[in-house]
Amino acid sequence: MTDWTGVLSLDLEDRKGKTVAKNVFFQGAFKVMRPVYHDDSGQVCYYLLNPGGGYLDGDRYSMKITADEGAKATLTTQSATKVYKTPKDHAYQETEIILKKGSYVEFLPDPLIAYENARYQQKNIIRMESGATFLYTDILTPGWSPSGERFTYDTIQLINEIYLDEKLAVFDHIKLTPAKQKMSGLGFMEGFTHLGSMIVVGEQTNNGLLDRLYERIEANESNMKFGLSKLAVPGFSIRVLANSTQVIERTFAECHRLISEEWFGLTPNSLRKY
Amino acid sequence: MDKNMLSLFQLCDSNFPTGAFSHSFGLESYIQADVVRDQKTFFEWLQVYVHEQLIYTDGLACRLVYDALLQEDLQQVWNLDRLLTVQNLPRETREGTQMIGDRMLKLSQSLYDFPVLSLYREQIKKKQSFAHPSIVFTMVAYGLEVSKPNAILYYLYSAVSSLVQNAVRAIPLGQTAGQLITHKFHPELQRAVEKIMQLPEDDFGIVSPGLELAQMQHERVNIRIFMS
Repeated sequence: MTDWTGVLSLDLEDRKGKTVAKNVFFQGAFKVMRPVYHDDSGQVCYYLLNPGGGYLDGDRYSMKITADEGAKATLTTQSATKVYKTPKDHAYQETEIILKKGSYVEFLPDPLIAYENARYQQKNIIRMESGATFLYTDILTPGWSPSGERFTYDTIQLINEIYLDEKLAVFDHIKLTPAKQKMSGLGFMEGFTHLGSMIVVGEQTNNGLLDRLYERIEANESNMKFGLSKLAVPGFSIRVLANSTQVIERTFAECHRLISEEWFGLTPNSLRKY
Repeated sequence: MDKNMLSLFQLCDSNFPTGAFSHSFGLESYIQADVVRDQKTFFEWLQVYVHEQLIYTDGLACRLVYDALLQEDLQQVWNLDRLLTVQNLPRETREGTQMIGDRMLKLSQSLYDFPVLSLYREQIKKKQSFAHPSIVFTMVAYGLEVSKPNAILYYLYSAVSSLVQNAVRAIPLGQTAGQLITHKFHPELQRAVEKIMQLPEDDFGIVSPGLELAQMQHERVNIRIFMS
């Protein structure tokens, strides 16, 4: 049995057009703030936070969220996830999100900042029924060290597994170990410092949407590099290499807005952090 | 030396018509950006491609499929087929690999009657599997009683030799330069096999961000000689 540092579970359902929690539970160094409704769409927004302020040696975090039929939710964090040095054992976080038919979850955590000698492993497991829609972003920064040197963390490993009707539909595995890799070199970060990933799974994906996303990113940003491609199931992924968190955030916010407008007729609010 | 080695050589031959010559796996994006432009820069790209992407996907898959065949665990083979396909986020490399796998399977079926090849075909027909060259290659190597490390080595060799051929055409490089690169790459392949034999299973599918991004960008390259 794992001894969890922080546990959180949240079960969401649709009640007459408004998404509400039928169960909220958290324990240890994991917390969720009061739900926020940014507009009258009924979509709920939850801010997750880590009262400890960061992940330490050997920390284990577990989060489980379910969205029942028709539930719509935004999940974000209150601030960047900081992973401090882990001399004995890596820090670990696993998230499981279950989406029933017709539900929508957007999981938009703040950037990850790994400090000198930090080891971190993160696993997101998404289980969707067809007819559900899922949107995810993450941003990896070059970390932080007292000397200002970049990429001084030991390892960052991020795994995303998305199952559609119980079949594996997306597997995304990034593992960066700066001491063993030429981080800024060809094939890796290509001279950039920040890496952003966006994954969207939704039946409404089509080539037109991909073209519009591509044109919008291309028109708005310079000093970055990006790739955009369709998944094996209806959906797409985007990778962005840039030199700041802001460039990636703006790019993803732009894509997020386009999708919200086209698929849900909504204009997303900026996620104010308190 | 394994007996039947000559038979496996046939699958590694660049004349073996799998269609691999139509795919650059993102290399063309680098050539168009003038990042890969000569023998030296291509060698660098090839090193990163093999050591940071291929060993965690196709290479590790060869090892795991070989073990699964040994244990008669076909479900594990089908799981790996799905994993290999869905971890390949860039559409062109995913679909291109699938096409190469499909053709390699068709050719292998006309040369050998290993039952596992027809079972794989059945899975694909039922849309339960996708087809992947590393899986077909390993099935043939296993059927020919070639050892596991050799199966991996020759698979990597065949992948690299078609990439070198493609680079010779696209950069372009001279034929002699191409042969020099292949020759210089032999120790890299040996090293890759040693790494694959040691890899923890859960390192499966690690991708290198830049390589993957270039594979995605290829979709938007206007004038192209490769399909990926």
